[in-house]
Amino acid sequence: MQPTPPVLLRALTKRFGEVVAVDGLDLTVHDGEFFSMLGPSGSGKTTVLRLIAGFERATSGTIELDGQDVTATAAHQRDVSTVFQDYALFPHLSVLDNVAYGLRVRRVPKRSRHEKAREALALMRLEQVAERRPHQLSGGQRQRVALARAIVVQPKVLLLDEPLGALDLKLREQMQVELKQLQRRLGTTFVFVTHDQEEALSLSDRVAVFDQGRIVQIGTPAEIYERPASPYVAQFVGTSNLFDSATSQRLFGIARRHGLRPEKIQLHHERVPDAEIVVEGVIAESIYLGSEIRVHLQLDDGTQLIVLERAGEHTEHRGEKVVASWSRRDLVPLTDEKAS
Amino acid sequence: MKSLATALVSAVALTALAACGGGSDSAETSQAVEELGEKEGQVSILAWPGYVEDGTNDPEVDWVTPFEEQTGCQVTSKTYGTSDEALNLAKTGEYDVVAASGDLSLRLIASKEAAAVNTDLVPNYAEVFDFLKNTEWNTVDGVNYGIPHGYGANLLQYNTDVVTEAPTSWSAVFEESELAKYQGKVTAYDSPIYIADAALYLMKHDPDSGITNPYALDQEQLDAAVQLLKTQRKYVGEYWSDYLKLISASETGDTVVGTTWQVIVNSIGKDNIRAVLPEEGSTAWNDTWMLSAQAENPNCGYAWLDYIVSPKANAQATEYFGEAPNSEAACAETTDPKHCETYHAGDEEFSKSLWYWRTPIKECLDGRDVECTDYAQWTAAWTEIKG
Amino acid sequence: MSHRVGALLGRYPALRLGLLIAAPLTWLVAVYVVALAALLVTALWQVDSFTGDLERTVSLENLKTVLTGELYRTVTLRTVGVAALVTVIDVLIALPIAFYMAKVATPRRRRILLIAVLTPLWASYLVKAFAWRATLSDGGLLEWLGTPIGLQSPGYGLSAVVMTQAYIWLPYVILPIFAGLERVPDSLLEASGDLGGGPVHTLRWVVLPLLVPAVIAGSIFSFSLTLGDYITVNIVGGTSQMLGNLVFVNAGAANNLPLAATIALIPIVVMLGYLAAVRRTGALDNL
Repeated sequence: MQPTPPVLLRALTKRFGEVVAVDGLDLTVHDGEFFSMLGPSGSGKTTVLRLIAGFERATSGTIELDGQDVTATAAHQRDVSTVFQDYALFPHLSVLDNVAYGLRVRRVPKRSRHEKAREALALMRLEQVAERRPHQLSGGQRQRVALARAIVVQPKVLLLDEPLGALDLKLREQMQVELKQLQRRLGTTFVFVTHDQEEALSLSDRVAVFDQGRIVQIGTPAEIYERPASPYVAQFVGTSNLFDSATSQRLFGIARRHGLRPEKIQLHHERVPDAEIVVEGVIAESIYLGSEIRVHLQLDDGTQLIVLERAGEHTEHRGEKVVASWSRRDLVPLTDEKAS
Repeated sequence: MKSLATALVSAVALTALAACGGGSDSAETSQAVEELGEKEGQVSILAWPGYVEDGTNDPEVDWVTPFEEQTGCQVTSKTYGTSDEALNLAKTGEYDVVAASGDLSLRLIASKEAAAVNTDLVPNYAEVFDFLKNTEWNTVDGVNYGIPHGYGANLLQYNTDVVTEAPTSWSAVFEESELAKYQGKVTAYDSPIYIADAALYLMKHDPDSGITNPYALDQEQLDAAVQLLKTQRKYVGEYWSDYLKLISASETGDTVVGTTWQVIVNSIGKDNIRAVLPEEGSTAWNDTWMLSAQAENPNCGYAWLDYIVSPKANAQATEYFGEAPNSEAACAETTDPKHCETYHAGDEEFSKSLWYWRTPIKECLDGRDVECTDYAQWTAAWTEIKG
Repeated sequence: MSHRVGALLGRYPALRLGLLIAAPLTWLVAVYVVALAALLVTALWQVDSFTGDLERTVSLENLKTVLTGELYRTVTLRTVGVAALVTVIDVLIALPIAFYMAKVATPRRRRILLIAVLTPLWASYLVKAFAWRATLSDGGLLEWLGTPIGLQSPGYGLSAVVMTQAYIWLPYVILPIFAGLERVPDSLLEASGDLGGGPVHTLRWVVLPLLVPAVIAGSIFSFSLTLGDYITVNIVGGTSQMLGNLVFVNAGAANNLPLAATIALIPIVVMLGYLAAVRRTGALDNL
């Protein structure tokens, strides 16, 4: 028998008036995994999160948390906690009281709830700001207070709604590491909403890619990246060269849509006999990115190719004639989007 | 604007004022005019409700329009609910003519708001009952300050639906056994002068109180009257000073027994709202038309004085208000031939049984050699009664 | 010359600001400060009760009367009591209405409700008071509604005053609370629910604490406006007197302006005390 999944969605649909935000969604989140919902804004991922939390009522379909149907249950009776995008810290309460809030409404005595709140703050290395008000904290500190407040009640599932969106790049990278460590330490199931594909890939055990209220692909980061199921995924997650079936036929003889990651292509100054697929072209642009160089290649038949090279290996110049090659297994056959 | 400027100056000169005592600077002698000049074309009148009717309240009731047609003086008028209110209004100087009851007329004269009246310039004055002329409330030191208008008693009004047995005594509003039947539906006149009504009741029912004139009360007698009124208050639903308020409360049934005027009962015009003059007699009013010392239109003012005491107009006004007219000639003009009989017009003895409103002063009005309570004390007592 | 003036103004911004607000400031001083000072000065004068003439001699007689008279103590307590009761009732009614308007209703319904709250402000105060007089009267609407369920109209009196005043000032309490609630982000309410706080907890621990300044701002309106009222009491108050009546009676009927001025100082003092007490809460920033 399968273990009971912490989150199970069946044919979940949410409409706002005419707009279908979530369209017949089926989803299972496994126990203890770091699960990300990735998609552009308006793709329905945040609505799914709010449906799980209980802030929105499903138009149809069911939500099960830990085997229990909670579709009609109010938010405060669901065993999940949310970290909000704007943190939603209570401005009139101290940091300590903010963190202790969930325990207070559970009627935990003052001493023990403060003790637990301090523990949670210690976990976030925030003991020194316990008595301050939220508006006296930096963005990163608020973020960690929001996390501490959400985990102190030991929820079955922690929902995170783009929690790192408001932080600057450096802080964001640091918080990503902390989040990952926290999740491993607590063993709590995380459901993480983001529009940042890099974040989703680096943090998650599994990723669901959203488009127009549906999940278009679900899988491990490697599967999503290496084997995108559709041109949409291929383009949204990382950069891809897309070949329609005519171009595929012309370049390597298979009449089907294909994607190809830029870092899978090698550039040569002369012909290499052992490569599986070889094409020729002229360098249209070469952009230095520090650790990499992004080369835009114009093939003889007019097709544009993007190639990523490690910096320092070669130096190509605009207008130079080069040969590009890749192996057949790096090509990703894509389903036709219209058909899916 | 002028008064604001005065206030500003006053405020700034606070320290100077402390030294400078108050006082009236009026060296004006009360000399009446010898002859009339040209009419000003307008006159402004301050009067009790029902005294200056121009047809706006009831198209049938209009004696102002004929006056305007005869004299060319356009009338503007304002009504008041209590004599105290009238004193304040008169002091503004906006009114040429004032209809004043006995508790107001002397105060107007004392505060130099009233001008002496030359009765020779009021031809109709000759018709007026003699016993109304040169009374203590319209004449001071031999100088006449006004023309008698009419007189009447404060009556006891009751609603026959609730007060099934017609009351004959003021005990209906002063005895707890009676009051208890109409808890919260009793009314009384909202002015310090109403203390006299309680005093009159004590005078008739409690000889030990030693009251001989309800407007001349020493401290002990005032206390007794206040006590009686405090008892009454427990049963009073609301007091009235605006006669329209009493009319509406009577019509809705919120008030079923209490002090009233004939004009109020007439206005309601319903069979079940009746008024009676109780056996104790009553406090009453005896009104005088006075000329303001600040009158801007004295000639039209004189024209009004003469017109309103003329038999026809006086009959209309007093009959509408429900009081006795001021002359035999007026009695002949009333639409109800029995009107003067009903109100005992010209009956000097009856008139003496009514206690006309007077302003209580320190010097007892009944000539006793003790200090009486003055109107300021009555005012304080009245607010205290209402609590 | 004008060039030099311009240069001068340019160099001293304070001077420029001073000139700019000089006119309104003068007006403010003339209208508010002087009027209040005139009131104070008048309170020190006396009046001749017979002729009604002002005696402009300074004395503390009126102040003594008001401070020691039992009548004034009783009426002050009654007035403050009525004002407090009106305020409490208004806040209790305003909170759910404002909450519904700010947090539950659709934008369309919110607009309709806002108009509904504002509309009574366009009707005359007197009309509303007289409407209540009719409602409360013998055989009036309230009796008609109440009789089948065994309730009586309270008739004219203090309870009628409280009801009428609570009705008249309600919009002034709803609006600041509504504005205060609109400033509370929805996510705070969601966060409370998310952490296990039911509606009661959320109201008690999140919404109300955040609304304290707005509630106090609203209460200042209902409290001060009730404190100074005399018209409603006259119309539906039966025999009851409030401070406003004493001022009105003394200024109008009894012609004792100095005493009226002295009594008028009572609500001013009460209000100053109330404002001083709430100043710390920061509610005044919400006015």
